Amino acid sequence: MASTLTRAEAEALLYREARLLDTRQLDEWQTLFAEDGVYWIPIDETKPISENASLIYDSPARRDERVYHLLHTVFPAQTPPSRLLHFINNVEVEGRGDSEAVIHSNQIIYETRLGDFSQYGLGELRPIVASMRHEMRLVDGAWKIALKQILLINREMPQGNLTFII
Amino acid sequence: MNAFDNAGSLGAEGENRDELVRTAPHAFRVHTRAYTDAEVFAREQKQIFGKIWVYVGHESEIPAAYDWKTSHIGTQPIIVTRDQEGRLGAFLNRCAHRGASICREAKGNSKSFTCPYHAWTYGIDGKLTGIPYHHEPNGYSEHFQMPEGLYRIPKVESYRGFIFASLNSKVQPLLDQLGTAKLMIDRRVERSPVGELVLRSVPYVARFKGNWKFQSENIVDGYHFIQTHYAFVKLQEKYQDTTGDFGVHKGASISEMRKHRIQGTVYGCPQGHGINFRRAANIDDLVTGEYADYHKELRALRGEEEFGWIIGTNAASIFPNMGMIHQQIRTWRPVSPDVTEVRIYLYDVKGAPDRLNEGWLRSQERFYGPAGHGMADDVEMFAVNQQGLEASAMDWLILDRGIDQEKLLDNGDYEGMLSSETAQRAFWRRYSKLMEQA
Ligand code: FES
Ligand SMILES: [Fe+2]
Repeated sequence: MASTLTRAEAEALLYREARLLDTRQLDEWQTLFAEDGVYWIPIDETKPISENASLIYDSPARRDERVYHLLHTVFPAQTPPSRLLHFINNVEVEGRGDSEAVIHSNQIIYETRLGDFSQYGLGELRPIVASMRHEMRLVDGAWKIALKQILLINREMPQGNLTFII
Repeated sequence: MNAFDNAGSLGAEGENRDELVRTAPHAFRVHTRAYTDAEVFAREQKQIFGKIWVYVGHESEIPAAYDWKTSHIGTQPIIVTRDQEGRLGAFLNRCAHRGASICREAKGNSKSFTCPYHAWTYGIDGKLTGIPYHHEPNGYSEHFQMPEGLYRIPKVESYRGFIFASLNSKVQPLLDQLGTAKLMIDRRVERSPVGELVLRSVPYVARFKGNWKFQSENIVDGYHFIQTHYAFVKLQEKYQDTTGDFGVHKGASISEMRKHRIQGTVYGCPQGHGINFRRAANIDDLVTGEYADYHKELRALRGEEEFGWIIGTNAASIFPNMGMIHQQIRTWRPVSPDVTEVRIYLYDVKGAPDRLNEGWLRSQERFYGPAGHGMADDVEMFAVNQQGLEASAMDWLILDRGIDQEKLLDNGDYEGMLSSETAQRAFWRRYSKLMEQA
């Protein structure tokens, strides 16, 4: 079945992903990925993966672990938890034949920690600013994420708590 | 004194307002002010960062002639350089004219530095080489005493690639300050058959809410691991090596991990270092396993006994601003009493198999960094701790753990058990000595 990804479809995919992340439906979020899909936040995207550490480089197994960590364990950096809101802009689709496409978008994600906002680290409103690249693949008639790459504009600089899924 | 009558003032209250550390038989206390007070912070800059050797970078970051990088000695911004002859140097990152910052990039390679403001120029050796319009009628007088160049940091030395600098021209010899930390550096460097570690270019950087001494204490805190990182321990129990731990965290269950955590010895050094040494227990596996050739080569080079220590699980807090754990060099700098910047530089062990270096890399990526499953919790604890100390009506913190078990060795180190506070006490003993010096 030949198909190209339209911008309207791409936007719908991104909006749905954003909603799943903002509402912590992370098991559902996992289903957006192709079987070998990678979730990647590089520090230096120009270097080979094998030579450089990323902020996140999640193979499917590691993605599973990250989601398990967030949903089924209690840890200080998410106690109290973060609340997120994604804003999506500048969506472009780069077609790559019948069964592949790349979605470019710019996103601003606002994050805040709940809890006693009189305390350090809680109750601040933090913007996370990134350009994103979703490499999509058609799998059994559905578009799946083969790679989600997030380029933070301040990726080499000091980062605060990033223990949630962007 | 009732139980709530502030922990461990150990009797006599208030005779000495400047007292930061108080000891008694079986007890060891640190004052809240040591982590929060602006005057204490200013005094640290003078008495600690101004007086002793401070880690400022690694030679592999500036391998070639004319390479340089920016760094800090405490709050002092500096430039670390390699000159045309390959010699190391260091200068304040400040123009001799009216004080503008000379380097605005984190690293580079250049034969000269030009100040962005009025364009005074300096050689890689710091010498002033040019002043624009020097001799114009409205220029400098014939009596003008031209500065020699950038302010040179009086002492710069490298030990096996680790560059230390001191603002104090009379500082003690570097190896005297390193003490047992020399052995820690040796054991890490000697994981490389050619004795060389090579830093990867881009570090993890966190600027955290919390005093810098929290980081010095925490990197060798055997006591917190199972508690602070309980979720990680659960992950480890569930995922083992399947998500890339690469055998770094020993033990397949919570109780095994805890058992491993209390094995080994911690040394608390008179120079302020805390060092954990755990000899590898699985030498036979290593010399027959996937990386047998590499391990056999190391064993042949270093001898059976030392090989076990080199390849063991070691960690160190090297006074005042450097840490070593896993395949990383960590360095931290005080920004203000309650803000600290910490950088984690991962490195390649030169001559080790690529697969091994990459395995270690992925393993650390999983635990460290702002999205890692471990470090984010430590950084959170620093904020939580700084927050807690806002409650300053209570004076003292308790660092007594394991005090009766630690014994003083001939070289001046205390030897204690892992998960004791031997390392932290060593830090504070040295700290208070330096702070009290005239
Ligand atoms: S401040 Fe550097 S040239 Fe004037
Ligand atoms: Fe920790």
